Amino acid sequence: MRGARASLAGGWNYERNVFMAATSTSAKKRSLGQWLRGYTGQKYTTTLLFLLIPVVLLVLFTVIPAINMGIYSFQKRDQLGVSWEWVGFDNYVRIFTDTAYLQTFANSIYYLIGSFVQQAVALLIASVLCSKIKFAGFFKGVLFFPYMMNGVAVSLIFRRFFQKGDGITNTEGTLNSILMLFGADPVRWLGEPSLVNFCLVFASIWRYVGFDIIMYISAIQSISPDIYEAADLDGANAWQRFWYIVFPSIRPIVGLQLILAIKGAVSVFEIPYIITEGKNGTSTFVIKTIETAFKYQKVGLAAAMAIVLLAIILIVTGIQKAFFREDK
Amino acid sequence: MNFKKAMAGILAAGTVLSLTACSSGNNSSTTSSTNSNSSTASNSSAADNSSTPAADNSTASGEALTLKVLTHRTDRIEDGSLAEMTKAFEEANNCKVEYQGFTDYANDVSTMMSTTDYGDVLMIPDTVKIKDLANFFEPLGTLDELKDTYYWADKKMYDNTVYGIAHLGSVAGGICYNKRIWKEAGITELPTSPEEFIADLKLIKDNTNAIPYYTNYADASWTLVQWASLVNSASGSSTYENDILTSKRDLFVKGDAYYEVYKMMFDVFSDPTLHEEDPMTTDWEGCKAAINEGKIATMVMGSWAVSQFQEAGDHPEDIGYMPAPFSKDGKQYAESAPDYCMGVNKNRSDDIKELGKKYITWFVGESGFAQKEGSICALKGSALPDYLTDFADCELFITEAAPEGLVGVWDAINNDSEVGTWQGDADNFKIKMAEAAFAGEGEDAFNKIVDDINQKWNTTRDANEDLAAYLEANG
Repeated sequence: MRGARASLAGGWNYERNVFMAATSTSAKKRSLGQWLRGYTGQKYTTTLLFLLIPVVLLVLFTVIPAINMGIYSFQKRDQLGVSWEWVGFDNYVRIFTDTAYLQTFANSIYYLIGSFVQQAVALLIASVLCSKIKFAGFFKGVLFFPYMMNGVAVSLIFRRFFQKGDGITNTEGTLNSILMLFGADPVRWLGEPSLVNFCLVFASIWRYVGFDIIMYISAIQSISPDIYEAADLDGANAWQRFWYIVFPSIRPIVGLQLILAIKGAVSVFEIPYIITEGKNGTSTFVIKTIETAFKYQKVGLAAAMAIVLLAIILIVTGIQKAFFREDK
Repeated sequence: MNFKKAMAGILAAGTVLSLTACSSGNNSSTTSSTNSNSSTASNSSAADNSSTPAADNSTASGEALTLKVLTHRTDRIEDGSLAEMTKAFEEANNCKVEYQGFTDYANDVSTMMSTTDYGDVLMIPDTVKIKDLANFFEPLGTLDELKDTYYWADKKMYDNTVYGIAHLGSVAGGICYNKRIWKEAGITELPTSPEEFIADLKLIKDNTNAIPYYTNYADASWTLVQWASLVNSASGSSTYENDILTSKRDLFVKGDAYYEVYKMMFDVFSDPTLHEEDPMTTDWEGCKAAINEGKIATMVMGSWAVSQFQEAGDHPEDIGYMPAPFSKDGKQYAESAPDYCMGVNKNRSDDIKELGKKYITWFVGESGFAQKEGSICALKGSALPDYLTDFADCELFITEAAPEGLVGVWDAINNDSEVGTWQGDADNFKIKMAEAAFAGEGEDAFNKIVDDINQKWNTTRDANEDLAAYLEANG
């Protein structure tokens, strides 16, 4: 800082300053060692050492690849990256002019609606689990378990769950079996274009609701019991307690969850990819990106698609930030 | 304080020593396990001329090279048959062969190939463009030298130099069927036209309890691609795709192979009584046992599936393989085609490369791997496998490589246009056709998809500079 100001003052002054600085560090060398052993020195070295590993990992596996991706998005290149060429904004132009790419966002609407249902369900279950019920820990475990399950297992479960049997190689799936107990006709759930996206959203809710429940439970449990006690004394019923105490206290978490839900809906990938492979009108933008990169060897175009997705998520996050700053 | 420092020094030294001991122990154990004869021989020579032990060690480890082979056959690594088979090679060449298997071979190895570390010998993934082969692989010889020895020598060839030899091959396309069920349905002769094929499926529906055709549609991203392998056979022409390019005709023309093959697929899929109840929930692993037991009658699959279907149950003798039901001038044709070709990593020392070349020669010609897999051996003059008996009346032919100047053009147009003749992405025409068929949308929907594809293809083809240059040069 001092050096910078000196350089403004003039070249001669600057050079003298550099010279002074050089001599002063060599003179201060011993005091540097002392400084390191002192309180502030210890504080900085410890912080530095602790941060070093995560920062190196972050730079190595996230920042550098992300920068590369940004560069690739202006290139025409294949998976091996041997003979690539600069194409300027061609990739971006293609994404926004060829309807095949952006129309895959349409399916995100299903997941967006589904995520609101998911938040409501999660909040409801979380409030129930926070009241005094038996086996609360057990239920928490059961509800959280799908979140940890392997994607292949999920696809097997739901292909089986939604199956319509033929009686030769397989029998009716779980859902049809239950419906048939009530006298309903079996349905080809994943085969009907009008039903298949709802089925996938259902699977998505099943898979991710556990995570939301845990988030809400931790938020609800951080509310001081004194407030409940006061409310009880005032004769508040369960609904009033929820609406006037719980909900205002967990509003930041609700906001965060909504932003995660929108982000998840825009970038939904795993559930449709593993259960239907994006067939039957269930493809999404991320599936399209993967197929562009690895089935058609257009890594440049796919990188541009990833950047577009990133931009959309940044915009949504920005909007959310603006909203919640207003609240405070 | 001094004591502590001394202890630390001893500990450090001990660690280093134990580490080196470990690694040297490893070395000696691997060499001795692969070839005990040579290690005793080198020991005795050390005693004879009293050379320094260090020098002797280095020559011993120099002789016993380790060759790292990347393969997609994880099944043959797991059952140990690959290692068992390779012992003969290891003994003959005093080396050690290490296999590394990949279940998602093409993807994983393509990613590895952005570095120089992709094994010593590997199956060349098709993601490497023909033009780029020289950047990654060691030349194995010229085409003139190799074409009389091996089938498909031109598959991985550029500029008359061969970079890979097929580790095995097979007929490109065909249809797996359960012989017992087809017989029970009253079918005595295999179909030679799409109409006959569909009539036969109807017979199976009427006369047996089996599902006539199993679509495997839940895994359509690769199972529908199997239909693509029928196209060249159906065309009966060794220059089919090249002709499409040079004549600048549509990809799908009624009466032509692409149209007819996918029309047959569309017709089978359109009739809900001919295939399984719910194509979206099919089960690939389960269907292997089902066709073996006769619950499923027919599936379009590459010949590689035959052995898997045979192994999946108690009736291996029931699994048959028939040629694509298309004929040209009253004759059926079947394209034979190479599987993965093996190449040598060019970023390796010369002795490893030499060993790699020897390994390929041995693996293709002498190992007996192709025979064991029931495939066609790439070495010319080997016998045809049993399951090809239904192909006896077929004319087997090999598709010619693209002529100079057309190399890679098909793939370029195919990828740039995103038509994807060999792909199974969610927007692919095969998937769209299947969806239209399942929804019962009829022939108009099929023709609309075909027109779209033709238009996409033609636009991209007309913009392709390489093709334009080729056509100009060759009239």
